[in-house]
Amino acid sequence: MSAASALVLFHAVARSLLLLRYSPVGLLGAGLVAFWVIIALFAPLITPYDPLANDYAALADPGPSAAHWLGTDNLGRDLLSRLVWGARSLLAIVPLAVAIAYLVGCLMGLAAGYLGGWVDALLMRVSDIILAFPVIILYMIVLAHFGPSAINVVLAVAFTAAPQIARIVRGLTLDLRNRDYVAAARLRGERPLYIMVAEILPNTRGPLIVDSCLRLGYSTIAIGVLGFLGLGLPPSDPNWGGMVKDSYALISVYPHMALIPCAAITSLVVGFNLLADAIRELGQND
Amino acid sequence: MNDNHEGREGRVHPEIPRLADELAAGRLDRREFLRFATLLGLSAGAAYGLAGLRSAAADQAVPKPGGSLRISMRVPDARHPHTFSWVYDSNLVRQVNDHLTRTGPDNVTRPWLLERWSVSDDLKTWTLYLRTDVVWSNGEPLVAEHVIWNFRRWLDPAVGSSILGLMKGYMLDDVEGERFDEAGQPILTTRLWDANAIEQLDDHTIRLNCKTPQVAVPEHLFHYPAFILHPSQNGEWDEDAIGTGAFRPVEIATGKHAVFARRDGYWRDGPWLDEIAFIDHGDDPAAPLAAIASKQVHGFYEGSTLQYHALQALDHVELHSRVTAQTAVARMQPAHKPFDDARVRKALRVALDCEKLLQIGHLGLGAPGEHHHVAPIHPEYAELPPLGPDVAGAKALLTKAGYPDGFETEIACKKDPAWELITVQAMVEMWKQIGVRVAIKVMPSAQYWDVWTKVPFGFTMWTHRPLAVMTLPLAYRSGVPWNESGWANPRMDELLTQAEGTLDLDARRTIFREIEILMQEEGPICQPLWRSVFTPMDKRVKGFTLHPTFYLFAEEWWLED
Amino acid sequence: MSAFLLRRLGFLLITLLATSFLVFAISEFAPGDVATKILGPYATADQIALLTEEMGLNRPMPVRYLDWLGGVLSGDLGTSTLFKQPVNEVLWGRLANTGLLAGIAFALIVPFSLVLGVVAGMREASLRDRSISVASIIATSIPEFASGVFLASIFAVWLGWLPGTSPLSLGGDWSVAQQLVLPVAVVVLYDLGYVVRMVRASMVEVMRAPYIRTAVLKGLTRSEVIFRHALRNALIAPFTVILLQINYLITGVVVVEAVFAYPGFGRMMLDAALAQDIALIEAGALVAVVIAVGTQIAGDIGYMLLNPRIRVR
Repeated sequence: MSAASALVLFHAVARSLLLLRYSPVGLLGAGLVAFWVIIALFAPLITPYDPLANDYAALADPGPSAAHWLGTDNLGRDLLSRLVWGARSLLAIVPLAVAIAYLVGCLMGLAAGYLGGWVDALLMRVSDIILAFPVIILYMIVLAHFGPSAINVVLAVAFTAAPQIARIVRGLTLDLRNRDYVAAARLRGERPLYIMVAEILPNTRGPLIVDSCLRLGYSTIAIGVLGFLGLGLPPSDPNWGGMVKDSYALISVYPHMALIPCAAITSLVVGFNLLADAIRELGQND
Repeated sequence: MNDNHEGREGRVHPEIPRLADELAAGRLDRREFLRFATLLGLSAGAAYGLAGLRSAAADQAVPKPGGSLRISMRVPDARHPHTFSWVYDSNLVRQVNDHLTRTGPDNVTRPWLLERWSVSDDLKTWTLYLRTDVVWSNGEPLVAEHVIWNFRRWLDPAVGSSILGLMKGYMLDDVEGERFDEAGQPILTTRLWDANAIEQLDDHTIRLNCKTPQVAVPEHLFHYPAFILHPSQNGEWDEDAIGTGAFRPVEIATGKHAVFARRDGYWRDGPWLDEIAFIDHGDDPAAPLAAIASKQVHGFYEGSTLQYHALQALDHVELHSRVTAQTAVARMQPAHKPFDDARVRKALRVALDCEKLLQIGHLGLGAPGEHHHVAPIHPEYAELPPLGPDVAGAKALLTKAGYPDGFETEIACKKDPAWELITVQAMVEMWKQIGVRVAIKVMPSAQYWDVWTKVPFGFTMWTHRPLAVMTLPLAYRSGVPWNESGWANPRMDELLTQAEGTLDLDARRTIFREIEILMQEEGPICQPLWRSVFTPMDKRVKGFTLHPTFYLFAEEWWLED
Repeated sequence: MSAFLLRRLGFLLITLLATSFLVFAISEFAPGDVATKILGPYATADQIALLTEEMGLNRPMPVRYLDWLGGVLSGDLGTSTLFKQPVNEVLWGRLANTGLLAGIAFALIVPFSLVLGVVAGMREASLRDRSISVASIIATSIPEFASGVFLASIFAVWLGWLPGTSPLSLGGDWSVAQQLVLPVAVVVLYDLGYVVRMVRASMVEVMRAPYIRTAVLKGLTRSEVIFRHALRNALIAPFTVILLQINYLITGVVVVEAVFAYPGFGRMMLDAALAQDIALIEAGALVAVVIAVGTQIAGDIGYMLLNPRIRVR
């Protein structure tokens, strides 16, 4: 990351934090996200048990107890530990997928918007084609064929999100490319790649920050759904959607097994969405 | 007692009196006596009489006619019954068409479309006597020609029935086919070993002249695709199917539901129900559970361990359960490293605590596995001292094999049913303790069955068969189609052939003892557990007994108010 | 207008070709082969070789693709390896069932979202706006599997007011209407919040527009301003968004259909993907693309009609 973009990022974060003070709902969103991020970062320190270890003594009564605060699942695995490690894998996969989508999407959008002509036509037609294909069906086809794994999930999510980002960035670029500072850079003889990345991209950040927050939310849901359909991650990685899938038949007798991961994923997505909403409002009121 | 246990030639199989002596001397369990005496052609009634038991079939309750019943079961395509690969497909056809025999929940095989059978002393000549009162739903009587047409179709390599694999050893020869594989070698196909292998004696009598002795012929006739279909329909089965069964198809909507109505002119008592319907709820165990909780269905084809505790909590539901020889095995292909070393294979077995695997994988319902695929309920079962768990011993074996720090590998496993994946996860945790790190590759069922004989390490379910001598030759003889691990051991082959030709149970058990030890020492499998299976039924459903292979016979059931 | 339509239809054709080829190519990488899938796990090598030859499966992929394409053009979508019957016999009934679910959900989402969105957007930052907005955000944040599991356990398992599954026919003593309540509720809950947010945003923007301020300054009452001036303009922008929901409602309801065992298009596609039933996946993908692009075109046309000042491309 170059110093310029680090500065831009820092500025954005600082401003957001400052202004969040005026939006209690946004603060709640930020708090929820921060809560899960901290949990995920410190997972190895927090978890009382190995998330895969089976406690045979807990099989008979899997409910919450002194030994297992949130109870255990139907394999006698500590639910709290699984929840925490699930947060860790989710919060590694989701931002990674969104970051890849942004990398590809921004480049596509910048190229299409700045260069125009056949590059624009080609990139946008390709995006249109990908966008026309229903996301969930695409996920099912790809993951059923290539098997559940973190990499496949990341690639599938990034593949479907990139064209959407490309469209947003293209629109912003079309607007920005005629600005004076862009013209000045062109006169200085800067190369197009430099102009796109250094001059135009930083000025698209407002809408993109909001979009990225929303996208983190959708992608969290998408990955939860894939886990629920048994297509997400291999069973050795605890994941929230999979935890619900494996236990919701037992909801009438052991409600904690399914409801706790349901609540966890909902709270994280609520966090992302409230945060996005607050940032957008701040942007409008600027 | 002397009802019809004598063949038409006026003789009983010479082994039967000996079995009766063994029984009297207390050397033979009554159940085992029943199983073998009936296989050899003694009627079940007579056998139960000799064994001093009352036949389970005698139920005092009076069935109540009428009503319509709904069962949750997947409804797959059922157009080609002879090529079925699942029991649930066959349960659709089973309401309309029959098998020649029926193996009951007591593991005793009785004649069904047959009136009886007899077998020669050398177990090579089987004579099947058809009932004379069976009438097809189109009004035609059932004759030997119809049955022979079905036999020939089962054994036609162009049809692709799994019965072919089952009967290949005693009915067929390998021949080179007309097609070639990628290497230019002719692909092997089969044909009847003798032109006279299936012989018609008269309108109601058929003789099978076998290549090798085979004791389990009547049980093979109950293999799930072994339906007797009407020859005019050319092996196809649909809503217009002609059957000998108690129901006729009304609507078959693949993937959604199938509905059957009672037919007129059935040749036996019953059926009591007016209608039986099967509803497809998908693979998710929560959907059928929700359906039975809201009384949308009366019962399931099979209960899942993920539903067990929730089902127990439903007041209107009774859980039927049965001890079976259903299992799944983690089989390793010796053709791939590190499984080429018998010590590695044994180490993986020794590391497992099968008592715990049973607890976690199957809620304690069943019996712990002993890694030799001979179930405690099999008559051939010989008890051996337990093999594990012994983490230190397993590590020592790995060290000797040159893997002191263990190794990494991958096991392929189906997504459904849930207990399989749960058990694999628990096994993987146990292997971790000896340094063997196993990644789990979960596949949809369809994908797994594409590769089940190919993956180096995989977890494969094996269904219940009443005798160990039916299962092991299918799975562990060198070169047979279902030998998924490709394990080839000349001593094993020798022992299996010996066991198949040995009728004396004590002698057979001695052979099996050696087979079991060989499997534990060198065999290709880790076997976590034996399953006791269960299924829920509304308490109003009467006459239902859970079959160890989940066969459903709706003509036996009725609904109380 | 007709040039626009032609261009859009051309795009639809290209998209259909591209996606169908892509799906075909993906299936090439899958383990196993079609003949084994049809014959089942116990097929012998000889049978597999025979069927592979008969079906022409040993031809190169592009040839098989063209062959399949020719079939599609003549109305033959091929044969499903999962259901072992023509795709045409499986697909349309499933699609009709999902259409029923989608239709009811759509009929509920449109009026509710318009009313809630307009009410929220009328007075930006009012308590009413805040509560509707936050409630909408929370509703869209609950994954369908979570709300499905939650509602089913309360209303079907615990209270017993509604059936736990929705097979439509043979659903026991429950009417079709009762069977539809829970799946529709889950879909509406998930989708409604999103549309409400869109309507609200548009309403807020219109209310900030100068001509509304002018109208207020002219002394018109609040309701006169809203009903005469704001409402019509505020509904133009969400129109496309609302139409695009049809797309989600038909091709995106996999989870709901799986949870409630609803015999619809989404569950069929899930089964097809798991069984790698290529003909069925292809047909479903084509249908999905037609619906997606079709709603886009309808949205654009409607947008142009509603707002003559705008020319779409």
